[in-house]
Amino acid sequence: MTTRALDRPGLTLPPFAAKTVGIVLLFILWEAAARAYAGSFILAGPLAVTAYLAQHADLLARATARTLTNAAWGFLWGNLAAIALAVIVILLPRMERLATAVSLLIFCLPLVATGPILRVLFGTGEAPQITLAALAVHYTTFLALMVGLRAVPQSWLDLVRTHGRGAGAQLVYVRTVASLPYLTAGLQIAAPAAILGAMIGEFTGAERGLGVLTIRAMRAMDVDATWAIATLAAALSIAAYGAFGWLGRRLTGTPPALLLTAPRPAPPRTLGRRVLGLAILIVTPLLLWYGVMEAFSLNPFFAKRPADILAFLVTGPEAAAHRAALLGAYAETLAFTLPGYAAGLALGALMACALLLAPGLGTTMLPVAVALRSIPIVTTAPLIVLALGRGAAGTIAIVAVMIFFPTLVACLQGLRQTPRQVVDIFDSYASGRWRLLILARIPAMLPAFFASARMAIPAAILAVTTAEWLATGKGIGALMALTASTSDYNMLWSAITLVALTAAATYAAVSALEDAVLRVYAAEQVAR
Amino acid sequence: MPPDNGQAIVGQAVTCAGLSHTFQTGGAPIPAIGPLDVTFAAGKTTALLGPSGCGKSTLLRLIAGLEPPSEGTIRMGAETPDEVCRRAGLAMAFQDASLLPWRSLRGNIALALTLARRQSDMDSVDRLIDMVGLSGFETRRPAELSGGMRQRAAIARCLISEPDLLLLDEPFGAVDELTRRRLNHDLPALWQARGTTALLVTHSVTEAVTLADRILVLSPRPATIMADIDIPLPHPRRGEDDPAFQDLAHRVVAALEASAEGRPLAAQ
Repeated sequence: MTTRALDRPGLTLPPFAAKTVGIVLLFILWEAAARAYAGSFILAGPLAVTAYLAQHADLLARATARTLTNAAWGFLWGNLAAIALAVIVILLPRMERLATAVSLLIFCLPLVATGPILRVLFGTGEAPQITLAALAVHYTTFLALMVGLRAVPQSWLDLVRTHGRGAGAQLVYVRTVASLPYLTAGLQIAAPAAILGAMIGEFTGAERGLGVLTIRAMRAMDVDATWAIATLAAALSIAAYGAFGWLGRRLTGTPPALLLTAPRPAPPRTLGRRVLGLAILIVTPLLLWYGVMEAFSLNPFFAKRPADILAFLVTGPEAAAHRAALLGAYAETLAFTLPGYAAGLALGALMACALLLAPGLGTTMLPVAVALRSIPIVTTAPLIVLALGRGAAGTIAIVAVMIFFPTLVACLQGLRQTPRQVVDIFDSYASGRWRLLILARIPAMLPAFFASARMAIPAAILAVTTAEWLATGKGIGALMALTASTSDYNMLWSAITLVALTAAATYAAVSALEDAVLRVYAAEQVAR
Repeated sequence: MPPDNGQAIVGQAVTCAGLSHTFQTGGAPIPAIGPLDVTFAAGKTTALLGPSGCGKSTLLRLIAGLEPPSEGTIRMGAETPDEVCRRAGLAMAFQDASLLPWRSLRGNIALALTLARRQSDMDSVDRLIDMVGLSGFETRRPAELSGGMRQRAAIARCLISEPDLLLLDEPFGAVDELTRRRLNHDLPALWQARGTTALLVTHSVTEAVTLADRILVLSPRPATIMADIDIPLPHPRRGEDDPAFQDLAHRVVAALEASAEGRPLAAQ
């Protein structure tokens, strides 16, 4: 039975052999493609990459050490911030909506724009890389930890309360230990993200590191170097992902099936409270924006306040021209992002279903997909642009690839959540795998699908702005890079605001759609 | 009836006055309890029976201070449930034992002392483990224990803080019938000997008649008292062999059936 084979992947091939077969296949395909396109300056095969790595071992080792050090510091600070925020939200549940929203907004800030600003702020040192790495990890860790701190039976919490103790004791004696598996699962996702953040920081004018080498190789059109550094960065990310996975299993046993779903607290009941809540959600980020800049007395030349942006876009003398430039670039970006986002989600879900129908393929493909999920976009973006060119196809493909792997992994997890008894009922009617897929497995997959659809929004923004900045020179990513280099900080901050608002609005729209669908297909996910 | 061994009663009576509780959900408010006026006598074990979802567990949660009632008052002596909780004067056992999987058996029982801010006296922990028949398993984790052993551990955790009031929410609901009988036979003496006031929510008529000094049969939601039946049998009770036991059990079943069908109970 195919369904049974899926639930016991070892039936077709032992996992280790399957993994090896997958990796060997990948390398053979890669080398074959490189030979087919030899001379077109697109693709360097594994042999050429190995040769480059061997020749430049010293340089690469130094750059790797630098990048990893920065990533580690960012990993530390970002995760500490996430843990602190999660503890605050557990102790003060009223803060949840606000804390989650602000955290998401910060996560959606385009690194392409925050990088140069941090560079101006901190100079040429390591601080921008570390900050970007921290920004890249805090949100996913926060979400994972929130899920974990809440994944506690009510009676354990009641046990503490019947002894006259409160939220603090619940946290110390019950929630902390119960959340450890979720924390390690979050750290596993955060580890490659920290490398990504550090590399983007290095793009913005650092002196050493793998990001610096990537930029140099791309400028020189050095295909071997570009592929070698990308391979190295990918290997580091996969290793970091694997290492934290191993550590998590050692510490806490089998990791929980983690859906990175932002916790959604019940909306307030009365209209007045809803309006008030929304107002707080809008005002607080503005206050934070203004307050942080004032508190650190940041130079108004590059640290634009909300009022500056309002003047620049609405009330100032050339506001109409500014708006036209900004919205023109924005429209270009949307034209790439939306198809890429939709394609990535659709391909991920479809591939998950296909792997389910052909489980033999799944055993081989899944370890590869899990590994590829952890490769940072900065390493794949230059390769895709090399292969598909600087036009629409390249950018859309980058966005789609960025979303594809996480969606595939999440959807496969979701498909396997189909209750065993439901599968047995379908089997007892010999109803066939297609009917089982459509009537039972896909509905079971929906929560995972929507969770990835929401988490894909910041990922899509990161992918499209990075691609536009590094490669295509179009759209809002290029606009941000250009305005950062010409010190047109009003336009840069306007672009940041617009991108963050778009992310928040899309996130809210996907959430609303999700609520409507899950209310029918997975009532327990929206139960309040 | 006072405890058979004549020991002093440590518990105090629990009084519910004008008690009613309503759940405020998204839709229409759901009345769950009351109005209810009842006193649970000091040192006695009272069983609460009633149709599923009638509000038995909610009543227990209100008395445990886990939720404030919508209306009315609950007092143990002169104290509110919150005050009783704060001095660790009550303990509650949950349907699924609710042991923390990362703590050993000993650690789980000692947790109650830690939470009550008392010294972790390992000698008395081990003594209690012995009394509930788990010696030799002190360092085992809950996953290594059977369902019946876990329930014994949960009862031990309740008793270690020597509470005046014991709240048992279907504590043996998740174990098989044989194990349940054994637990019903072994464990109640531990708190009944101390004269602890106990409230037991259960679905089993046999269990209620075996353990309780008094049985309250509740109506469907909102819960009110349908029948109040005294069980004046000496402990320990052996149901199957005793016609008086059988007779009481039949009365309880009749009251339950009346409650489920929503008709008044025929005069007895």
